[in-house]
Amino acid sequence: MEYDLKTIDLEITAIEDSATRLKKIGTGIETIERNADAILAFVYLLKKNISDIIE
Amino acid sequence: MEGVRGRSIYWNPIIETLPRERLIQIELKRFRELLRWAKENSPFYRRKLRGIDPQDIESLEDVARVPMTEKDELRAAQEEKEPFLYGELLAVPYESLSAFHQTSGTTGKPVYIPDTYESWQWLVEVWCYLLYAAGFRRSDRVFLPFNYNVYIAFWQGHYASEKIGCEVVPGGALDTRGRIQKMREVQATALMNTPTYGLHMFEVSREMGIDPKRDLSLKKMVCAGEPMPEPTRLRLEEEWGVDVYDHIGGTESGAWAGMCCEKRGMHVMEPHFILEMVDLETMSKPVSPGTRGVVVLTPLCRRCVPLIRFNLKDIMTVMEGPCSCGRTSLRVDQVSGRVDDLRKIRGVFFSPHVVEEVIRREFAEVAEFETVLTQEGATPVLTLRLELDPSIAESRAKNVSSRLRERLKVKTNLTFELEMAKPGELPRYTLKSARFKDLTKK
Repeated sequence: MEYDLKTIDLEITAIEDSATRLKKIGTGIETIERNADAILAFVYLLKKNISDIIE
Repeated sequence: MEGVRGRSIYWNPIIETLPRERLIQIELKRFRELLRWAKENSPFYRRKLRGIDPQDIESLEDVARVPMTEKDELRAAQEEKEPFLYGELLAVPYESLSAFHQTSGTTGKPVYIPDTYESWQWLVEVWCYLLYAAGFRRSDRVFLPFNYNVYIAFWQGHYASEKIGCEVVPGGALDTRGRIQKMREVQATALMNTPTYGLHMFEVSREMGIDPKRDLSLKKMVCAGEPMPEPTRLRLEEEWGVDVYDHIGGTESGAWAGMCCEKRGMHVMEPHFILEMVDLETMSKPVSPGTRGVVVLTPLCRRCVPLIRFNLKDIMTVMEGPCSCGRTSLRVDQVSGRVDDLRKIRGVFFSPHVVEEVIRREFAEVAEFETVLTQEGATPVLTLRLELDPSIAESRAKNVSSRLRERLKVKTNLTFELEMAKPGELPRYTLKSARFKDLTKK
């Protein structure tokens, strides 16, 4: 079986967009801002581990 | 590009088996991005990289034209510079920082290195690669026998074990006996250690009547904190009855290479790092695989304190040929010396590392040792202070010391004075050992 890396990358981008939007609409609520930042830190890793590989 | 699905021996089967050409392409792209980031955000690099256009970096030869970064420059960029503590190295807003660590200060004033949540997670992720390669899995219970303090290695090891899904048992508050008892009590299956402390723990467990092979459940040990010559690794494997894996890293760079199950050299964590090896004499000419050189390293994804072409001063060799584990990254052998420790004695280059290699490989009777360099008039004198296993009879002790002196003469072309120390007289080390003392540098 093979992985569909393009679809995985699309999902990573979708999480990034969603976490960025969440952070924006939750500005001023510490728990939203900090947890959205944490999600974005892990998105950064997924991009370095997967998205960067796609030619 | 498609990846292959299935239970894997890799933390990331896609990246770890990429063709080398593709790894290099990704590294070059990341290097350009890092240069751009550093020039825009770090006052230190804005000045240092003036005149360098990231877009001009198209090959590894181009990378080698970018100026190297030395540790003294990092110190100078911090001292009395704003913002407090990190100075001109910082490339992110101060309020985004979430972790503090510092170098050990072995070679001078410590350098303070911060991390953001993002960069800390990246460091931990790299550790996941190396622990997974050493066989750490969800089913493991990992024991860490240290107070982690302000030093980075075991914090990363702790969080990476947790991320892999292992149970982590921190044993820092206990003494050595307590730690051994705790490992037995919880049936720890994996241990993180320094090589020196691993040897010491074994001595103590023997005094306690505990045989690690019989009485503990350990299967693997990952070592950090100091260079581990192959004979030391093999001795630890023999004494503990476990697989022992080496890795290499530092506070400034993070962990950057580790052993896989083949235990033949350490895989560089590509494409998270660019590794270069330069010639010892010129400190600029690249050396080919199979030839000893000095490590120059660029961590490619840690944006808060960018580090570009950092001169690690470790002397190593890139190994030739692929590894049978299937990983395509470069492999390096274990550290064979430090530029800082290298001395020219009577016209011969001497690395204290050789003493440890000879002792660990051939002289199991030696419990502890220390090499001291002094000067008598114009003549440098190398003295090896030895502490033998207490069970060795005096008659045998003489034989051990004369054989050792001969072997060192063969290996180094230098004559050593030998001095016997009483049992327990020489210092024991928990973290970084200091078995070489240069008293000519007062």
